[in-house]
Amino acid sequence: MGDRLILGIETSCDETAVAVLRGREVLSSEISSQVDMHARFGGVVPEVAARAHIEAIRPMAHLALRKAGIHSDELDAVAATQGPGLVGSLMVGFSFGKALAWGLQRPFIGIDHMEGHLFAPRLENPNYRPPAVILLASGGHSQIVHMRDWGDYVIMGGTIDDAAGEAFDKLARFMGLGYPGGPAIDKTSDGGDGAAIRFPRALPDRPFDFSFSGLKTSVVNHLVKAKEAGNLPPIEDVAASVQEAIVDVLVAKTFNAAKETGVKVVAAGGGVLANRRLRDALEQRASEEGLELCLPSAALCTDNGAMIGAAADFRLDAGDRATWFDDVDPGLRLG
Amino acid sequence: MNALFVIETPDEMEALGRRVAALLKPGDIVLLNGSLGAGKTLLVSGIAQALGVGDQVTSPTFLVVRKYSDGILPLTHADVYRLGSTAEFTDLELVAESTDGVLVIEWGDAVRSTLPEDALVIHIDADSDGKRSVTVRGEGEWQSRPLSELNS
Repeated sequence: MGDRLILGIETSCDETAVAVLRGREVLSSEISSQVDMHARFGGVVPEVAARAHIEAIRPMAHLALRKAGIHSDELDAVAATQGPGLVGSLMVGFSFGKALAWGLQRPFIGIDHMEGHLFAPRLENPNYRPPAVILLASGGHSQIVHMRDWGDYVIMGGTIDDAAGEAFDKLARFMGLGYPGGPAIDKTSDGGDGAAIRFPRALPDRPFDFSFSGLKTSVVNHLVKAKEAGNLPPIEDVAASVQEAIVDVLVAKTFNAAKETGVKVVAAGGGVLANRRLRDALEQRASEEGLELCLPSAALCTDNGAMIGAAADFRLDAGDRATWFDDVDPGLRLG
Repeated sequence: MNALFVIETPDEMEALGRRVAALLKPGDIVLLNGSLGAGKTLLVSGIAQALGVGDQVTSPTFLVVRKYSDGILPLTHADVYRLGSTAEFTDLELVAESTDGVLVIEWGDAVRSTLPEDALVIHIDADSDGKRSVTVRGEGEWQSRPLSELNS
């Protein structure tokens, strides 16, 4: 079953992404980023997102098929993200996928977006296998997952307030650095001193949970006070210090979880993994601890259709299928 | 009728949320206002706890709306921070969908004109010493409802 041809569709948030997979081989993976559109608003604007998905989904599917050199008749299955995400955006990709599968008379399957991220490393790294601990960090989610086996997940912890990407976005907006906040802060940090300001590292009582709300408050207070005193620190130092505070906590908790579970494989996914400092810090820590780190390339960390196809390949092997009556589930949860 | 509180710690903000929850009945709307990091989501977390919601309340900014249905009243937690217009908010039809539960809206002032007059409006102001001044104001029929219970 390794050579199944799958079309994977991902529209949970601000990317219209479609990919074609032959088993675990990515034949094409197209992402129509809407970041330009959102940059004007400083965040993900739901209606704008849904409308843009409607305009982009068909051309993106055509493009993915053409680049893969595949005719839609040849597809063995169609998969689309079922949740979690923005309801309007999810509906565009899910309905398109369902209709296409219906027309082709092929199986259709809805995939949990987070499970997609868990399968992304499998497309590039042959050493990626359970048991593993995976950090998932994006605009809407921050979780540490213990994958005991393929399809068998324990959520060890998650955010108790803001997601890591959300903290980047909100603070970048507050500092006037633009959207999305992760890359903006990453770029502004160049040449900055990450130790310039010691922002708090929130360590909630539960060992694998995150909290970024206190950091947000602390940065706002710090900058308001500094401004009143006419003593604003260089923006690159603030950006680097914010980045350091977020990265520190993400890395520490991930490796604590690896230690707790005794796994030898650590992986990560989600848009926040596009941050270079976070990638460097994870690599350094993994090599210090002698653990195998499976870090997908940036294109597979951010939202993409290939990861949906990869998870679908596993789910189809397990015999899972959607019914034609299944619908999106914006509040879907892993596990 | 206004009620004023000075909140010194995150725990106190959650506790205030729990006391707000004790006032709520089906169909009620609560609007929260206050700058980034003021503690709006924390106050909602207190409301959710008192309603018996089992899940941890997390920021709804990314998804715009999070719903919690396992408490004694269904709780709809919205955040209009990222919306571009009031039309995008009214499209969500949250008021019509929340008549059997409680609707809490962060950055609620931005969509006040689209909402029913009856609402509990809360403003959180961050003082320079880190404390929070919280003003709770009843509007519409809330004016005849006692806010004094919030002091207990």
